[in-house]
Amino acid sequence: MTKALQIAWLQVRIYLQDKSDLAFSLLLPVVTFALMYFVFGGLTQFHATAHIVNEDPGGVYSEAFIEQLEAFDELNIDLLSLDKADGKLERADLLMFIVIPEGFSEKLASGEPVELLFKQRGNGGQEQQIVAALVRSVANDISLELQAQGQVIAALVDTDTTISRIETTVERLFAEERENPTVAVTEDTIGSSPDPVEQFLPGIITMYVLFAIILSARTLVEERHLGTLERLLTTRLSVGELFAGKFIAGISRGFIQTVILMVLSYAVFQIFTPLSFVSSLLVALIFTCAASALGLVIASAVRTPDQASWVGVFFTMAMVMIGGTFFPIEEGSVMEIISRFSVNTYANDALGTLINEGGSLGDIGLEIGVLAGVIVVGLLLSRYLFKVMPGGR
Amino acid sequence: MMPVDYLVAQDLHKSFNEHKAVNGVSFTIHKREIFGLLGPNGAGKTTTIRMLSTVLEPDQGDVIIGGHLIRREAEEVRNLIGVCPQELALYVELGALDNLIFFGRMAGMSSQEAREQAMAHLKLVGLEERAKGKIDKFSGGMKRRVNLAVALMGHPELLFLDEPTVGIDPQSRNNIYETIEGLRDKGMTILHTTHYMEEADRLCDRVAIMDGGQVIALDTPHALKAQIGSPDQVTLEDVFLKMTGRSLRD
Ligand SMILES: Nc1ncnc2c1ncn2[C@@H]1O[C@H](COP(=O)(O)OP(=O)(O)OP(=O)(O)O)[C@@H](O)[C@H]1O
Ligand SMILES: [Mg+2]
Repeated sequence: MTKALQIAWLQVRIYLQDKSDLAFSLLLPVVTFALMYFVFGGLTQFHATAHIVNEDPGGVYSEAFIEQLEAFDELNIDLLSLDKADGKLERADLLMFIVIPEGFSEKLASGEPVELLFKQRGNGGQEQQIVAALVRSVANDISLELQAQGQVIAALVDTDTTISRIETTVERLFAEERENPTVAVTEDTIGSSPDPVEQFLPGIITMYVLFAIILSARTLVEERHLGTLERLLTTRLSVGELFAGKFIAGISRGFIQTVILMVLSYAVFQIFTPLSFVSSLLVALIFTCAASALGLVIASAVRTPDQASWVGVFFTMAMVMIGGTFFPIEEGSVMEIISRFSVNTYANDALGTLINEGGSLGDIGLEIGVLAGVIVVGLLLSRYLFKVMPGGR
Repeated sequence: MMPVDYLVAQDLHKSFNEHKAVNGVSFTIHKREIFGLLGPNGAGKTTTIRMLSTVLEPDQGDVIIGGHLIRREAEEVRNLIGVCPQELALYVELGALDNLIFFGRMAGMSSQEAREQAMAHLKLVGLEERAKGKIDKFSGGMKRRVNLAVALMGHPELLFLDEPTVGIDPQSRNNIYETIEGLRDKGMTILHTTHYMEEADRLCDRVAIMDGGQVIALDTPHALKAQIGSPDQVTLEDVFLKMTGRSLRD
């Protein structure tokens, strides 16, 4: 047994020395994840840009207006000149912009009505219609505030209250109202949020772990060609020890990678609790064992390193594609039935249950059972097929 | 004094899918002897060595090494032998020393023991300065010498050298010759295959010439040369070509 461990340790040292292998197994998952986060991150919450032409620069009310728009998390404010905005609208680089007219603040101060101009292509598109609604609500607030102010001043004009005092009081009242609205809205969310991190992270981790382990089947075939396996058999090593060593090597390699990726995602995205982290590690370990056994099946069944690569890539891609790595699989769909043929499905489901639904190991007995079955069958099959050299032991 | 037979191969046969690679090979190797196994490409030399070194099971025939019948006591036999395979069987991503230590550990040595032997063997093949160097970065000659050094781990009594000098410069080749002669002087028994006839003439006490999976001649180089002319005028290469013919093998 110690010899098997030494073989595994040798393999791990080779892996840790190979910079490109390390980059592939650690850097690439992070990059993939960042890309997915970028693509899907935008879909989960509304976010848009309001293009504004301010023809009343420095005006009290125009500035206040822009400030209130900036207070929306959903909005980005893009200030631009009228010429530029017209040009962009012409080229359809933007679909709508808002013009704050000249003398906006001055007119408002003297009680005259003003008009904001929405210049748009067609109806401006769905996104800009929402922007327009937000802009209208701010404009409404401002005109309400000014109307209230006007009314109060008119009512109190005969008393000895100063106008500036009335103005500050009304302003304060409205500011307070914005802080603590009388008719407030709270959000009550049911179920897990469709957070892209939690949704895709398990799939990406299992995908790369499977890739790495299955592709290392190639090195075993190469070793057979190179003669190091044969040489090992002229020492006191038994075929069983050699086989066990390679199995453990696959596990260690995959597990090092998983631990690093999971610790990274723990640190960056905080998607784990300490308990779910530990149980996820356990699931990852079981998955890694299954992948290692499958890697041995491939290494034992093919003849050349190139065959190992092709079979490995095809196998991994198939497992990943039908395993719900990139898109959620709907319950009861045909896809769900197909996905049952992928090892990744079970690992992804198990990790998903632990991470997204706060489940415990007891909730994923089925998944763990299937993965354990894959380990046993994979090991038996590969041990049956495994030959150090054709026609030999 | 009668030489002691250290290795006895009796009527060995091995086929790969109908193709008879080895077809009834018998010979004995005496203790402390350098025994040459010669023959054109595909003659069956490597297959024979694989059977002698417990990697391949013969379809028929028996091998006794150091008094142990391979068929029954392969474990014991493995304790006695060292193999330097025809292909470089090394982990090229690792250093020379690490390779030797690893194979030493696989031969059952403690880590301390393996390290000491590894350093000693690297010194023997003139690589003690490059012990930490990665095999990847070594020249062909250096790799061959590491390949030989690995075979020495565990101080085997019987050494199988399958073309240990192929494709290297005269300096490295001479280092290997000297190493082999030194080992024989220390009491090791050696089976050596090569395609260089002067090498076999210089090193080997006796040679067997194989062709088509069979041994077609077996004697001392001197006696073989005497069969076709005056031993001072003919070379072993003349003997080889006369016996195996000039047609190309593939
Ligand atoms: N594992 C194998 N599977 C199929 N055929 C094999 C195998 N090993 C050897 N052979 C065949 O057996 C024959 C003898 O091969 P072997 O390697 O023993 O020759 P050799 O004398 O060592 O040749 P060389 O000088 O080229 O090394 C060859 O025809 C070879 O193709
Ligand atoms: Mg050969």
